[in-house]
Amino acid sequence: MKPTLYTVVRRAGTAALALSLAVASGCKQFLDVAPQGQLSTAAIQTDPAAAQKLVDGVYNVLYLGGFSADINGLQYIILTDIASDDADKGSTPTDYLDAATIDNFTATSTNSNVNNCWNGYFQGVARANQALDKIPLSPADASIKNRQLGEVRFLRGYFYFNLVRLFGPVPLITTVPAASDANNPALQTRASVADVYAAVIADLQFAADNLPVKGGTDTGRASKQAAQAMLAKVYLYQKNYQKAYDLTSAVITSNAYSLYPTYADIWRTVGNNNSESVFEVQTGINASCNNEAVQLYVVAQGPRAGGKYGWSDLGFGFNTPSASLASTYEAGDVRRAGTIIFINPTAPAGQKSTGTVLWDGFRVPSQDSVQGARYSYKAYHSRTKEPNCGNNDYLPKNIRIMRYAEVLLMHAEAAFQLGKTSEATADLTLVRTRAGLAATTPSLATIWHERRVELAMEHDRFFDLVRQESVQPGTIVPALALHGKTFVKGKNEIFPIPQPQIDLSGGVLTQNPGY
Amino acid sequence: MKNIHLLTWLLLAFALLPSALRAQQAPITGVVTDATSQEALIGVTVLIKGNTSVNAQTGLDGRYSIQAPADAVLTFNYVGYAQQEIPVAGKTAINVALASTTKLNEVVVVGYGTQKKRDLTGAVARVEGSEIVNQPVQTPTQALQGKLAGVQIISDGTPNSQPTVRIRGTGTLLAGANPLYVVDGVQTTDIRNLSNADIASIDVLKDASAAAIYGVRGANGVIIVTTKKGAVGKPVLSYSGTYGFKEAAHLVQMANADEYKSYITDTAPGTTFPSYPGFGAATTNWYKEILKRGTFQNHNLAVSGATDNVRYYFSGNLLQDDGIVTQNKFQRLTVRSNTSFSLSDKVTISSQASFSHANTQGVNLGAAYPDAYRAAPIIPAKQGPLYGNTAAYGNVGNPVLDIDKNNNRSVENRLQGNVGIDVRPVEWLTLRSAINVDLNFNNTTDYNYQFNNDNTTFIIAGGNQRNPTSSLGVMQTNSYRYLWENTATFHKVFNEKHDLTILAGTTTEEGQYTPLYGYRRGVPADPNQWYLNTGDPNTSVVNPYDPNNPNPDMLPSKDRRFSVLGRVNYAYNSRYLLTANLRYDASSKFAASRREGVFPSLGLGWVISDEDFLKDVKGLSFLKLRTSYGRLANDQIPVNSYVTTADINIPYLFNGQPVLGAVISQLKDGNVHWETTREYDAAVEFGFLDNHLTGEVTYYNKLTSDALIPINIPGILGDPDNQLITNAANITNKGVEAALNWRSTIADGFTYNFGVNATFNQNRITNLNGGQALFAGNNLQTKSDNGQAAGSFFLLDAIGVYQSAADIAGSPTSTFGTGPNGAPQPGDLKYADTNGDGKIDLNDRRYFGSYQPPVYFGINGGINIHNFDFSLVFSGNLNNKVYNAKKQARFAGTDNVEASFANSRWTAANPSNTNPRALTSSLPNSTYFLESGSYLRLNNVIIGYTFPVSSIEKAHLATLRLFLSGQNIFTATKYTGFTPELSGGPLNSGIEATTYPTSRTLTVGLTANFK
Repeated sequence: MKPTLYTVVRRAGTAALALSLAVASGCKQFLDVAPQGQLSTAAIQTDPAAAQKLVDGVYNVLYLGGFSADINGLQYIILTDIASDDADKGSTPTDYLDAATIDNFTATSTNSNVNNCWNGYFQGVARANQALDKIPLSPADASIKNRQLGEVRFLRGYFYFNLVRLFGPVPLITTVPAASDANNPALQTRASVADVYAAVIADLQFAADNLPVKGGTDTGRASKQAAQAMLAKVYLYQKNYQKAYDLTSAVITSNAYSLYPTYADIWRTVGNNNSESVFEVQTGINASCNNEAVQLYVVAQGPRAGGKYGWSDLGFGFNTPSASLASTYEAGDVRRAGTIIFINPTAPAGQKSTGTVLWDGFRVPSQDSVQGARYSYKAYHSRTKEPNCGNNDYLPKNIRIMRYAEVLLMHAEAAFQLGKTSEATADLTLVRTRAGLAATTPSLATIWHERRVELAMEHDRFFDLVRQESVQPGTIVPALALHGKTFVKGKNEIFPIPQPQIDLSGGVLTQNPGY
Repeated sequence: MKNIHLLTWLLLAFALLPSALRAQQAPITGVVTDATSQEALIGVTVLIKGNTSVNAQTGLDGRYSIQAPADAVLTFNYVGYAQQEIPVAGKTAINVALASTTKLNEVVVVGYGTQKKRDLTGAVARVEGSEIVNQPVQTPTQALQGKLAGVQIISDGTPNSQPTVRIRGTGTLLAGANPLYVVDGVQTTDIRNLSNADIASIDVLKDASAAAIYGVRGANGVIIVTTKKGAVGKPVLSYSGTYGFKEAAHLVQMANADEYKSYITDTAPGTTFPSYPGFGAATTNWYKEILKRGTFQNHNLAVSGATDNVRYYFSGNLLQDDGIVTQNKFQRLTVRSNTSFSLSDKVTISSQASFSHANTQGVNLGAAYPDAYRAAPIIPAKQGPLYGNTAAYGNVGNPVLDIDKNNNRSVENRLQGNVGIDVRPVEWLTLRSAINVDLNFNNTTDYNYQFNNDNTTFIIAGGNQRNPTSSLGVMQTNSYRYLWENTATFHKVFNEKHDLTILAGTTTEEGQYTPLYGYRRGVPADPNQWYLNTGDPNTSVVNPYDPNNPNPDMLPSKDRRFSVLGRVNYAYNSRYLLTANLRYDASSKFAASRREGVFPSLGLGWVISDEDFLKDVKGLSFLKLRTSYGRLANDQIPVNSYVTTADINIPYLFNGQPVLGAVISQLKDGNVHWETTREYDAAVEFGFLDNHLTGEVTYYNKLTSDALIPINIPGILGDPDNQLITNAANITNKGVEAALNWRSTIADGFTYNFGVNATFNQNRITNLNGGQALFAGNNLQTKSDNGQAAGSFFLLDAIGVYQSAADIAGSPTSTFGTGPNGAPQPGDLKYADTNGDGKIDLNDRRYFGSYQPPVYFGINGGINIHNFDFSLVFSGNLNNKVYNAKKQARFAGTDNVEASFANSRWTAANPSNTNPRALTSSLPNSTYFLESGSYLRLNNVIIGYTFPVSSIEKAHLATLRLFLSGQNIFTATKYTGFTPELSGGPLNSGIEATTYPTSRTLTVGLTANFK
């Protein structure tokens, strides 16, 4: 039988129908292809390890540094040390003029340092928000998830604490915005300083309530005490001395910490996670020799060749300890030599120059071959006696963000403000004894002096000066004038909002007063 | 999903097979082909002479079947072809090759079918395999250069490099800009595996009407490659081969030792130059040291033929291209098997498959080539086993050492092919199902030798050119792609006037890519130990994927597509023509809500010359108008562009131990989708004087909307680059392409032909729609912005040279000089203050055109006198720009300079107003480095001699031809660099920085067919 047109069409129709049915049912599924070799939201819902990876990934943002987005690197150092009376810009006079304008309070909103810190801290906030958004999806136990949330909220609280101290009112972003909301003006609106602090306190309180105590968690993870200490610092800025006192007391009475006997060793590899470490950025070396340390942290602050040159120098020479810092130490204070590398003067003609021999035997030549007169010892990393995988951009220097010494000094200040003078005396004595000094009478002046020398070159001084001014007005202008700088009250307490960010917000983001 | 596939197969088989099996009587069957191209002819009418009531038509594969008495005479009729009459004489199989009466009637391959060129409503250009096989080039695409209007080919001299192809301009900024290649149904982006001798024809689908059948893959045009099939007759053994050499086509003359010393002394008076014993004041020509004359050879052996039921073509090809840089070497073996079997007169199974194995010995050209440009000529390259130490002198590394101390080898294995079944239950319906596969297995090893900067390596110790520990990187990738196609084609001529073809089908596709990378230091220098296990395990890097600087080759990927396609071709009396396409695409690359699209097109044609009112116009042989409009898209966008993913292996330390975390940092637009192109096309095709003169002129207008572009987003979102890629920009390409061909016979045995083609294209980014202008180029010389062509040069305008302090004082202030704080000095370049604000800064940059040529063209000609043949192909660009970036990079005061600059630089005694004074540092991007990109190149010359049949018969030869073929013979250009032909992406084309030197190839060739 010759097939007729009808039979052929019927058969073709059957085939087409079968095909389209097969397609309609299978197509949707067929075209859902998950990303290959990448972690997607779907994987987080089934794999308890995935949420933990996102938590660990937030810690990694602490490595941001160099000449771009920054959290603990050179850009942050410029805004905290170089802006203060502890340090000068360093390097050569004409190098990196953006940092020079921060140093002498002439920076404008186009300054790159403020934009880099803005970007870095908001990257940290975004990583934290992404993790907080996904952790609840994890199949892990609620207790594990609460610890994970606590770690991330500790970090977000820390980021916003720095943001509010750097910029004042800032947009408060606590969720993951949709891409379509990227340019939504509502997102750009600045929250008040009080609201930002309230968010910081909520984050750190959650962390303090949910994190295990030191020893109950991996070294390097945020602990209960780390959250309490950071929250105490926030309350100190809020002048809530009772809370600051209670929280620091809790850290002290946990008996988990003691002052490390050798001050200078705190910033060396032997001092990593020592007995007074409350929270520190963990660094190390890996095979690919990158991204396991704060980028350029060491090399940016390393002694720089000048004059006759002729030696393989150690870095760019930024953030040089100021003359005012060098002269503020009391006689016999071991912290002076632990904080500052002093470049020896050029030997008189005919005499052999000795240079400066560092703890590891490295000899820095004398002044005629070095750019600056002083460099930060706390940022020095030995190329020969400490781990090093050959990439100077990523020398593994842990950053000590919260030390027990600071807890004691916060406790002293809170106790003093609450009239518990004897407790303040005890705290001060502990800190001063380690420094090789005799006891002293507590007063705001002595406590603040102790804070300055104990925490010098640890990126806290500028914030502290501004805080002290709010406690005891009239201190900051003369302090910085002594250092040759003109601080304008009502303006220089915070930095300008970066102009590129105002432009990107379409003008919704407002500028700080005076800029 | 697998089960669904199986189910569909079974249903198809049940629906179709019964008709196939029910053919009881054995009729006369055969295949009708085009005598020149051997392409199957569809719709040929087969009649029994004297009995027109019995007739048959050929199907998609050219096959027919007719019931006829043993003594009948069959006539084969096809418009534009000479009619043939063949007596049946008892045979049951009759294959016929019809001769075309004009070139206009040739059959071209369109997607999922073929069509006569005169019936086309879209823009399709064709090159026969015979036109490319004699050119000594590795890839068939390179041989297309200058031959087709609207198709721009940019090739560079690197062995095994893929030429850049742009069809009707560049329609994208960030997505892929290359066309789709379809090799016998296999869809791919790379055809470097093919042997040119295996190619029967290449058809280029240029407009929406032609390419719409490829939907989301068609926006950049489609290049269809058809490989050879056996011709009817007994087995034919054929050989074709070329052997010759390659050498640098053009070199830049660098300063010699004397010129160099005088130049350096000018910038740094009192410089003491290193002295090498036994070298004296000699000059090292570094290009000579790293370049060579390389071998090029290509041998192809094929056996082909066809019997009643089997068509076959088997071939083997060996190609060697040594390039022109020392150590460089490329070898490729390709074998091919193309077969088809007719199981009955209704069922045919066919397969086309090739395997290729390629070995590349690469060169560390990224270091050696810029180093050769800058290396001081006063240092010897090598004395005995020791190298001249350019680095110790404060100069670049020794280029010879750059090459010698690196060993980069890759092996590529590729299997490409298909198996298909054609069922023709009735004469007017063909059903086809085919599986196309493409498999790639690549392995690259990159070894760097250990060497010190001491006297074991160098004549003089010192410097920073050294490698303290050896290293080995091994990259293995494998990829597969399958494409399952099911089509039904209905073809019938009603009432002898209504010619109707309907195509419908589905395609299902999946591709996967898997990379594997390993790296270790301290691997021994013995090549037999170049495996990862021999290196220091503490230096392992498993995957160097760096989220801050992603290399897409390091990321695995998987994608799928499902498409439904349909097409209607209708011709009334071969005079009024209509083509309508509809394609539905769904792609896994996009979010569920954005992954589906429908792409229609419509084409109309009118063969006016068939109308009565034009029939008697003297001299007019053919005149056709056609126009088309359609929508296409480009989905050459990385998979997962829309989906938020976490970067993995983000390190941190806990308890002092490394821990790898994950980070979600890049914000992604979940609505990212393909880029859509709408294209309008109108053309006139004509033939005059018995079609001795033929040609066509086409106007086209393409608008790509929603091209990918980054938009800036605020830092508070925490995205590391503060950008979000989204579909926003509009790009247009519009222009005219014209081709004119003349062919004629002067006397018996004396024919000649001449052709020109030219394309006038205007590329514009018409609107970024809020997207950010894109800077690109090795020194960010280009900016792609609203109203400009993609990749436009954005530069300071160098208007002269400061002659004196008074000249500087009277000019706008500038910080681009060579004095302290950038103050200009006499002899420095003077830039225009284009915004008139009294100071010269980066705000004075302006646009100065782009590499994209407003006009590109080809000229070809050929003469046949008896047994001699001679042909020429020219190609060229007009009025585009190239940027001489290598001249700009000046990193050390000791760098060498071009001889012309050394001799004509500004000095107080030679107050040039074009060249600046001797330089010690890099200059900013300016028009000083911008040159005309216009060129005319004699691309190929062939002189051949075909031996008379009588002289070779005794050697069992059917044909024997000897020829000389030369590629890139000369280039007329004002450009002072190596070559104005520079490949690059849409944003950064036309920048000569580390380009492989272009080469000239001269070969002798032989083709022979054995009886």
